[in-house]
Amino acid sequence: MIDQGLEYVTRRTIVTGPIEVRFPLRPGDRALVAAGDVLVPGSRIADRLREAHLEEVRGGPVPEESRPGDRWAHVVSDTGPHLRRSHDESSGELLFELGGHWRMATGEHPEQIDTPVGGVVRDVRPGIGIRVRAVGRVIRGVEALGEPSRGVLAINPEPPEGAGPGTRLKAGSLDVGLAGAILVVGSRVDAETLTRARAMGLRGIIVAGLAGKERRDFLASEARQRASLHRLPTFAVLVLDGAVRRPIASPISSVLAAIAGREVAIVMDPPALVFDESEVDLAPPPTDLVRVRAGERVGREGRWAGLAGLRRFADGTFLEAGWIRSDGGVPMAVPLADLERFA
Amino acid sequence: MTSDPRAFLALDLGAATSSVALVARLRHRWRLIGALAMPASIDVDAIVRLLLERTAVGDPELARTLGIARAGSFRSLPRLVAKSARPQRLAAIAASDRAVRPLTEAARRSGWGVTSATPQSADPLTMTSMLLDPGIDAVLLGAGEPPGPDERRALDDIASLVAAVAARRPELTVILAGSMAEELSRFEDYQGQRQGEVLLVPVASAGDPPGSAIGELLDDLRAPRDDARRAISRAAAALADALDRRIEVVDIGFDGGLRATATPGVAGARSRVVASFIADAGLVPREPDDETVDRVLAWSTVAIDRHRLRDRLRELRFSPWSDASGEGARLRLAAARAALAVLMEATMHHESDPAPDLIVASGGAWAVAPGPAIALAIADVVRRPAAVGVAFDHARLLAPLGSIPDGTERRQLIADMADDVLAPLASVVIPGGIRQGRSAGHVTVHAASSSSELELIPGGLELIDLPPGERATAELRFRDTVRLGGRGRRFAVDVAGGLGGLLVDLRDVPLRLPDRPERRRELLEAWQDSLWITRDR
Repeated sequence: MIDQGLEYVTRRTIVTGPIEVRFPLRPGDRALVAAGDVLVPGSRIADRLREAHLEEVRGGPVPEESRPGDRWAHVVSDTGPHLRRSHDESSGELLFELGGHWRMATGEHPEQIDTPVGGVVRDVRPGIGIRVRAVGRVIRGVEALGEPSRGVLAINPEPPEGAGPGTRLKAGSLDVGLAGAILVVGSRVDAETLTRARAMGLRGIIVAGLAGKERRDFLASEARQRASLHRLPTFAVLVLDGAVRRPIASPISSVLAAIAGREVAIVMDPPALVFDESEVDLAPPPTDLVRVRAGERVGREGRWAGLAGLRRFADGTFLEAGWIRSDGGVPMAVPLADLERFA
Repeated sequence: MTSDPRAFLALDLGAATSSVALVARLRHRWRLIGALAMPASIDVDAIVRLLLERTAVGDPELARTLGIARAGSFRSLPRLVAKSARPQRLAAIAASDRAVRPLTEAARRSGWGVTSATPQSADPLTMTSMLLDPGIDAVLLGAGEPPGPDERRALDDIASLVAAVAARRPELTVILAGSMAEELSRFEDYQGQRQGEVLLVPVASAGDPPGSAIGELLDDLRAPRDDARRAISRAAAALADALDRRIEVVDIGFDGGLRATATPGVAGARSRVVASFIADAGLVPREPDDETVDRVLAWSTVAIDRHRLRDRLRELRFSPWSDASGEGARLRLAAARAALAVLMEATMHHESDPAPDLIVASGGAWAVAPGPAIALAIADVVRRPAAVGVAFDHARLLAPLGSIPDGTERRQLIADMADDVLAPLASVVIPGGIRQGRSAGHVTVHAASSSSELELIPGGLELIDLPPGERATAELRFRDTVRLGGRGRRFAVDVAGGLGGLLVDLRDVPLRLPDRPERRRELLEAWQDSLWITRDR
């Protein structure tokens, strides 16, 4: 039974059960799985066209029963001379029929989409997406950038002494020994470090906050990288809390520390870290542990000490508040809406 | 609510805020006993329990009378619930850019998030991708009746394209407007899979004002009848009848802004309400773009660079109730002003009617702001040369009361509770056409107990203390002819007191702010300081 006042503090679930992950598809992309298929991490689930374009279907009839979204491929007869054609240019996804002629989305240079999580395919909708019921447990974030990725979880290797989880990773702290890892970096990270991490073969970064400027610069770098012909392995950034600097919450840090060295995955939709380590014992945090998630004391943690009622805060704003006791000190009143508890 | 309870709970469940009010019948009148608002992530029953506990502590005898003193009583109280509908997105498709514009406008005013495309602006592959996006809930495919010369060539193309998408997305609602209704046969159900509706609506320009016919249908489609915003519109009409005044409700919420203008009925006629819900006028959009950041920065009294402001706005979106004091409170008010400005710009058609007598601020954006600061924010943005009262739906009662299905019962309850529903913030007098100079004239305020006189300085804000509940007459004498309802130099205006008193606003109409950020901040701060009296200095 929790203290009744804690009901008024937003609850954050640290680890949740299995989730449904969506992999988006665009017209022309080709799904390689079907509903009911069982996937293991790393399975190829689709081919994505780098530059799809619209074409009128030529070179053969389209079957009468064809529907928008169906695949169409030119069947080359076994007899007669064969022309050498560019890759798969004569196949594509049927989009719509106009004046008795079908238009299709087609293109060259397909890239493969691999699933970083194991699970069962729930639904495949051409041009829309693939939904997979992922196996494993989940830590949710607020945003994920990049592409779904999988790697070995590593904790920031060089935290300054006594800095705890609220550290900022510098580009110079990275080395090639981290290739293949998904690295937990602490409170924030800049775009230069993210770009360097991807170049060094890291598979992902987990961070509490990502500032808008760094986010914009990273997305621009990611777009340039996607446009290049020589692609690097997938790379993902999982943002756990938001845009301003704050340390990773200690209950989440504890879970990450417990699964460090094991394979994990970052998925985009929903933004989350997925891990399938059922044997790892994850002890729940104390029920009265609360964390300040916004405001002037952002990132501080303490123990719940009861409701404080309606109180006056800076600039004469009156807010419902709660008492929290940090490091055994005197209780301080914090707006309830700035607090979170864990379950 | 057709039985006769002694007390009930009025719940407004928004996307970011859950608000609970306890209403009880005392001495033959319905009265607001107490209200409490908290983030939507908190269990509603827990909020109800806390409200009832506080009521019981504050007035044990009243609690016993109402039967809410005993544990578990929160379960037995009847509830009047208004819930904000989930925000929805619509794709407007037409054969030309000219033809898509009225469709986009009508959908935008009906609360839909709108994306539009035409063969002139996008290729068929891009249009297909756009419509296949699972974030699109409905497609509005329209054409003129008869189609214009710029539309005819592409009608078949877009009908084929949208029909193909509809076959792939049976859950998609398809709305055919104008002569596109002739293409209905293309959207016939395939193998009984279609879950979304296929609807026929009039041409985009139909109705008075133009676009209102399609707008009403789109509004019906967007949200159920008990949607909080639709309920607020009905409540505004009932309030206009109850007070016999023109009412304008401006509601800024998490997922959009509502402007509802209600005129009381005369000679037995029913009141008339024009309502527009604008999805882009939410407190902070999902992804604040440069335009949003600039808009908020223009109203900010906090010295902050664009990158940091964008981060703060994104945090506000992630967690709309957090960081609500100090600098956070001032940024929140800047964001609310920016959202209100978007709402005003998108609903200019409301201004064909005379200015309202009373503006009611509503919605989560104002939930934790001091009352006088809300009045100033309204005066900053809603600038029409007139004398208006400004009030606040402090207990968020408008939506639940507006959700009462029976119109008569709704009007009776709102008439009974009008004084409790609205917290008077200020009376604002905004003369238009003030010329620069040393003095624009004088105002004399005749209140019950005393009179006071002030010189009117162009470009300034004159504050006259007039407490809530007090009524007075403001006699304004200008040196030159100004606009205040009509044109003239001498006006006598009846004003009512409020938390911010009487505000004679001699600033420009519309408000012009200095381009230099420091000077603009100083000016905004000076105006804000005069009304936000509880601010730390």
